[in-house]
Amino acid sequence: MTALAAAARPYLAFARTSFLNILAYRARYFVGVLTYFFNATVWYYIWRALFHEKGEGATLGGFTFPQMLTYVATGWALRSFYFNEVDRDIASQVREGRLAMTLVKPVDVQAMTLSQALGESAFRLVLFTLPIGLLLVVVYPVLPPASPAALALYLLSGLLSALLVGAINFCVGLVAIRTTSILGVLRAKYLVLEVLSGLLVPVAFFPEPVRKVLVWLPFLHMNDTPGRIWLGLATGADAARALGLQAAWVVALLLLGRLLWKATARRIEVQGG
Amino acid sequence: MRRVRFHARLLALYFAQYAKARLAYRADFAAAALASFLGTAASFSVVLLLFSRFPHLAGWTFPEIVFLYGFSLLPYGLFSVVSSNLWEFADRYLVEGRFDRILLRPVSPLFQVLFESFRLESLQEVATGAVAIGWAVSRLPDVSPLGLALLPLWAVFGAVLYVSVFGLLTAASFWVEDRVGLAPPVFNLMSFGRYPITIYDLKVKLLLSTVIPFAFASFYPTALALRRGEYLPYFWAVPLVAVVFALLNVALWRRGIARYGSTGS
Repeated sequence: MTALAAAARPYLAFARTSFLNILAYRARYFVGVLTYFFNATVWYYIWRALFHEKGEGATLGGFTFPQMLTYVATGWALRSFYFNEVDRDIASQVREGRLAMTLVKPVDVQAMTLSQALGESAFRLVLFTLPIGLLLVVVYPVLPPASPAALALYLLSGLLSALLVGAINFCVGLVAIRTTSILGVLRAKYLVLEVLSGLLVPVAFFPEPVRKVLVWLPFLHMNDTPGRIWLGLATGADAARALGLQAAWVVALLLLGRLLWKATARRIEVQGG
Repeated sequence: MRRVRFHARLLALYFAQYAKARLAYRADFAAAALASFLGTAASFSVVLLLFSRFPHLAGWTFPEIVFLYGFSLLPYGLFSVVSSNLWEFADRYLVEGRFDRILLRPVSPLFQVLFESFRLESLQEVATGAVAIGWAVSRLPDVSPLGLALLPLWAVFGAVLYVSVFGLLTAASFWVEDRVGLAPPVFNLMSFGRYPITIYDLKVKLLLSTVIPFAFASFYPTALALRRGEYLPYFWAVPLVAVVFALLNVALWRRGIARYGSTGS
């Protein structure tokens, strides 16, 4: 146990440092609450108009209007928690040669990157996700979690989402450095993942063939899985299976990240500069 | 008039120079353009997915909604092509001291900051928007030809409006050292203009028509083509709103520059 604690210590330090680093920019997060509020708001109006066409008490894709609104609110709140810029950071380290300073540290680069992402998420949870969630609950009729168990599983699923996004972004960053327009690739990634994660629209609205493919990909576990758990649309064995898959994807993508890192590290030449 | 001609020529030169440098790495530019297109296509596909299931949304047909969304990509794409330096202005120009170099040249500093680099791949948004409009027009029974003919010009006014609003926010960095990042939430407000304004409450409509007048960039410009008589006064006000905000922007930059003291780096 002490050996484990000793091994974890440097990573806790990385998490703590990244927590403190973004604390310095906290003003941005006050304004950032508005960004998330606007994003959820535009979808509030779109869904309101769509449900209005269908008439009072209608369901769309298996969701009532309050459920859909709750899906939107919990989805954006969760995004504010799991979001990280691991991809951008790792890519710019490689680009600017700062990676040398990372490589000389006796730590695992992937584990270090992930602890930094989690440190950032811990900050976001307190000063970002909670205010955003609170604002959304106050302004819009968001439904409470379906049951205490649903809340507990949602929190677990949300934590797995953060790990999943960290694992995905580590891979994306390593792929992006092979092109010279890293920022362009990362910008496209945001937009594509907003769709594939189910953040914008639940997967139930996708055409059957697309849905069949999507369930075999990791992205839905970013938003669709936790969203359905909160609403009680996935309970018991369903929820357990979804969480199991989510966790399996985290492990699989962490392994993929390790392979990509090995392939990248072999190619890296650090210049004296 | 001579100054306008001079700046137009300079803009063409800046653009040609940048495009040449960028296209030297053709495969890389193609990858960036493809990535950019994938992003646009993903967001657009959600709209298609959602609205194609409903014959009407708040009084708008599916082709009309595609028209609106398609048009919104024109001013947005043009704005994206030129706005990249605005985002990094405080860091790259003020903190790192590049602004001193800008001030040495006998050309408007704002002009130089805007046009020193371009995001060429965002031109795909303009093309994607045009294709969407074309599709919508083929499905719409009655589109005003004059309204269609004016769309490109109104798209430019819309882009000017976007640039001016973000230019104003950027100019704040001449005064406020600790940047609180007002631009991101305002940036996200742009997406409100992609949908029929009738879906919003009065307070949102007011916000989009006054303080942050993005409805003038992407919604009202479609009123003439789609024959929405009730919004015609707003349609004709688009150039005026764009020019007023552009003048405000230029004035604020002037005052900011007058106040500017170099970091000396």
